Amino acid sequence: MTLKNSSPIPLSCAEFQEQLPDLFAAGSGAIHDPQLTEHLKTCENCSALVRDLQYIADQAKQLLQPTHEPSDSVWKKIQEGLAADSSLVPEPSKN
Amino acid sequence: MEVQGLQMTEAKTAPGLFKRNPPIAGEAEAIERAKAGDAEAFSKLYALHKRRVYTLCLRMLGNVSEAEDMTQEAFLHLFRKIGSFRGESAFSTWLHRLTVNLVLMHLRKKGLQLVSLEETINPSEEDSPKRDFGSRDTQLAGSVDRVALERAVASLPPGYRMVFVLHDVEGFEHNEIAGMLECSTGNSKSQLHKARLKLRELLRRSESTAQAEVKEAAL
Ligand SMILES: [Zn+2]
Repeated sequence: MTLKNSSPIPLSCAEFQEQLPDLFAAGSGAIHDPQLTEHLKTCENCSALVRDLQYIADQAKQLLQPTHEPSDSVWKKIQEGLAADSSLVPEPSKN
Repeated sequence: MEVQGLQMTEAKTAPGLFKRNPPIAGEAEAIERAKAGDAEAFSKLYALHKRRVYTLCLRMLGNVSEAEDMTQEAFLHLFRKIGSFRGESAFSTWLHRLTVNLVLMHLRKKGLQLVSLEETINPSEEDSPKRDFGSRDTQLAGSVDRVALERAVASLPPGYRMVFVLHDVEGFEHNEIAGMLECSTGNSKSQLHKARLKLRELLRRSESTAQAEVKEAAL
């Protein structure tokens, strides 16, 4: 990625947004390229977009707390599976 | 068929995951006892982790009965393999990776193309008028609660949902996700980006619907 570009040519929104997957992957706090920071400062659309996407990524962490619980039959089946395993424990091989 | 990725190398774990999945009180002891075949320890480990494993399955599969089946599979697999857990990563990270791999294997058996699922977006949605991304009155920040987000995630196309859940919720790195989904890291990054864009659209739409409903009710 050639983000280090000293040319002052302003980026279009499309050009800016093309970089977003990589920028977010690198940590969105880490926008150092002057062209990108300039665009972000001056373009309300793109700055709102970045803010929203960052917000969504942050909010997603809340979902790590579980909300659902399996029914009791799941544990019963697991116990049955384990019981079947132990009944299958092979006798020491006689070969 | 050998279960892919289940011979997990714990060393690969990103340090961030350990921080996100700190060990739980009483867990280490239960693990040791479970390794010795103690049935009560299995029960304890199940009680500690069933909700998160099941929630993960449910989010990946979007279906209660499949999610329960895979939860069962994951714990059976866990108890059979627990002897190979060496404590180099958080236990829950290890368990979640095992679960993800089982679910993905299940989906592959069903013939689902995990990465090209982005094509399955409902075409009628694509035809709907594009939202004005520039309108500043509908800023998301601060306005989305957990329930709304959960609902939006559930309505993502499966391929987007998968990468979003693995990366943004579960905290896996792109290179790990690429390995799990058998795609490139670039692909994983772009899927994640599209997932977040889609979520933004869904959340904005549900916000404006809610606003419209309030207006209607006021009439
Ligand atoms: Zn822009």
